[in-house]
Order: sequence, then C-alpha cells, then structure tokens
Amino acid sequence: MKHPLALLALLAATAAGAETPRGLLDTYAAEAASRTPGFQASARRGADFFGRRFGVSEKMPACVSCHTEDPAQAGRHAITGKDIKPLAPRANPARFTDAAKAEKWFGRNCGEVVGRPCSAAEKADLLRFLAEGA
Amino acid sequence: MKNILVWDLPVRLGHWLMVAGFALAWLSGDSEEWRLVHVAAGSTVAAVALFRLLWGFVGTRHARFASFVRTPADAVAYLVELLRFKPRHHTGHNPAGAWAVLALLGLALLTAGAGWLTYEEIGGDMFEDLHEGLAAVMLTVVGLHLAGVAAGSLVHGENLVRAMLTGRKQGAAEEAIAGVRPLAAVLLLAWTAAAVWFVAVAS
Repeated sequence: MKHPLALLALLAATAAGAETPRGLLDTYAAEAASRTPGFQASARRGADFFGRRFGVSEKMPACVSCHTEDPAQAGRHAITGKDIKPLAPRANPARFTDAAKAEKWFGRNCGEVVGRPCSAAEKADLLRFLAEGA
Repeated sequence: MKNILVWDLPVRLGHWLMVAGFALAWLSGDSEEWRLVHVAAGSTVAAVALFRLLWGFVGTRHARFASFVRTPADAVAYLVELLRFKPRHHTGHNPAGAWAVLALLGLALLTAGAGWLTYEEIGGDMFEDLHEGLAAVMLTVVGLHLAGVAAGSLVHGENLVRAMLTGRKQGAAEEAIAGVRPLAAVLLLAWTAAAVWFVAVAS
C-alpha cells in the first residue's frame, strides 16, 4: 500500500500548487527510504530538528529563531521583525501545498540556518512534526 | 569635437547608486539574514529610477528623454552601424543605449514594486515568482547594456564608463551643459535615503 501511495505523491508533485502536506511527506519519506530501508518519518525527530540550535547563523541559529517554539503560532522574522504566518499546516492550510515552493524555501533556509542542504529524511521528519505536532 | 561636460551629477550619481543597489540586491536576494539589506538595496534602485523619470523631463540637456529617445528603428539602425564599425557619434546617449535606459528604468520599478508587494505580503505570495523573474530579465538587460557600453567604447574610441564617472564626453562645444546641478544631486541622495528609511525601517 505504501509504494502506490508514494508513486501517487510523486505524480501529484508534477502539478505545481496542487500538492498536500501529506503527499510531500510521503515523497520525502519514499526518497529517504530508498537510501535507508525501513525509514519511517518521526514527529519526535522532526521536533528535535526544529528546536535544534545549529549556530551557523548568529541571528538565526535555529528554525525556532523565526518560527518560534510552536509552529502552529505566528512567527517573527529575526532580522526584519515582520510577522510570519504559522508554518504548521494544521494551523495554516496553505503551507506545503506546492512542492517547488517547499523545495525553494528548504534550499534557502537549510543553507542559511543548518549550514547545508537538509536531507529527505529531515524534511520528512519535520513535515510529520509540523502536520501532527510532537 | 571637444571634451565637454555632458552628464550632470544626478545622472552620474543615480547611475552608480543604481549599479550598487542592483548588485547588492541581486547578491542578497536568497538570504534571510541579509533581508533588510536586500530591501534597502531594492528601495535604492526604485528611488533612483523614480528620480530619473522626473529628471528626464526637468534635468539638463542630455538627461532629458526628449533629447535622446529615438524610435526602435533608429536603435536597430545604430546597432547595424556599430556592427559595421561605422556608427555615427552621439554626444549624449546613442539610440540603442537610450532603449537600455528606458528598459532598465521600467524593469527597476517593476522589479522593486513586485519585491515590495512580496515583502509586505500584499497578494500573498503571488508576486514572489514575478519579482524573481523580473530581476532575472533585468540582469539580462544589464548584461546587454554592458556589452553595448563595451562595444560603443571600443568602436568610438571613447571610454563610456569613465564618461559616466567624470561626466565628460566628446562633442561640439555648444552641446555642453552649463553646470552639474549639485543641489539636485543632494536632493537625489536625500530622497533615496528617505525611501530606504520608509520601506526598510519605518514600515
């Protein structure tokens, strides 16, 4: 059952803006499983990643520097002070509905905050945490 | 032909402010840590472009659009002359350069406008892709402009980059402008600073 679902998610990912957080999670999880057999996305690991201080950027050491400890709440940009809409799809249904946009922002924010590209496993864990809470 | 004063101070200062602003904006675009710098750089570009539009009507002789904007056919004719290494010399902007000026001013305002809408989250994220696409088009036109400046400089034997620094070009004595308009340059600086402050700090 898992594989047809992952395939469906991949197919859905070709139509920009039509994805769901669940579909994106499945796509990332399938990619992670292809490298680490038996991979299962974990909300606990996602929560740990979200709260971890990477310390690469002085003003934005962690995801929570801007998105706050609770991703279901509005965040605040650490540099501009501007409000950031909640990152968690359960609080903001517009989040993670466009694979290209998700990849673009993972690319930017992982590079600047984590100091390297995030792995598919990290993205899957994070999406599970954002969708379901810790 | 003599070495005469052609570009006033607002034209030159505005040009190099736009260069610095666009370069900084392009380099800082993908960074959240540099987001305020990016917004300040984009505001500089927009403020200079707006000033230049007005200056194109009230500025000195060679700064006025009416003195240098020709038809697209004239621009093509000039490029053909350039390719044959026999272009007619223009004291101010040549007809092809004129279209680069207009395109860059238009793109500067559109790109900065779409960027501001994105920054203020007006219209959600619909202007984000437009902003990035316009910036890429603008970089392309900057590349064409640089190629044109290099070709024009070589073929005319006239350093156009230095001319944009010193304000002096080859021309007939009676085509020279009388002064560099330093007060207008101060006004340009004050207006640009105000725009940066309003967009990046106050709002």
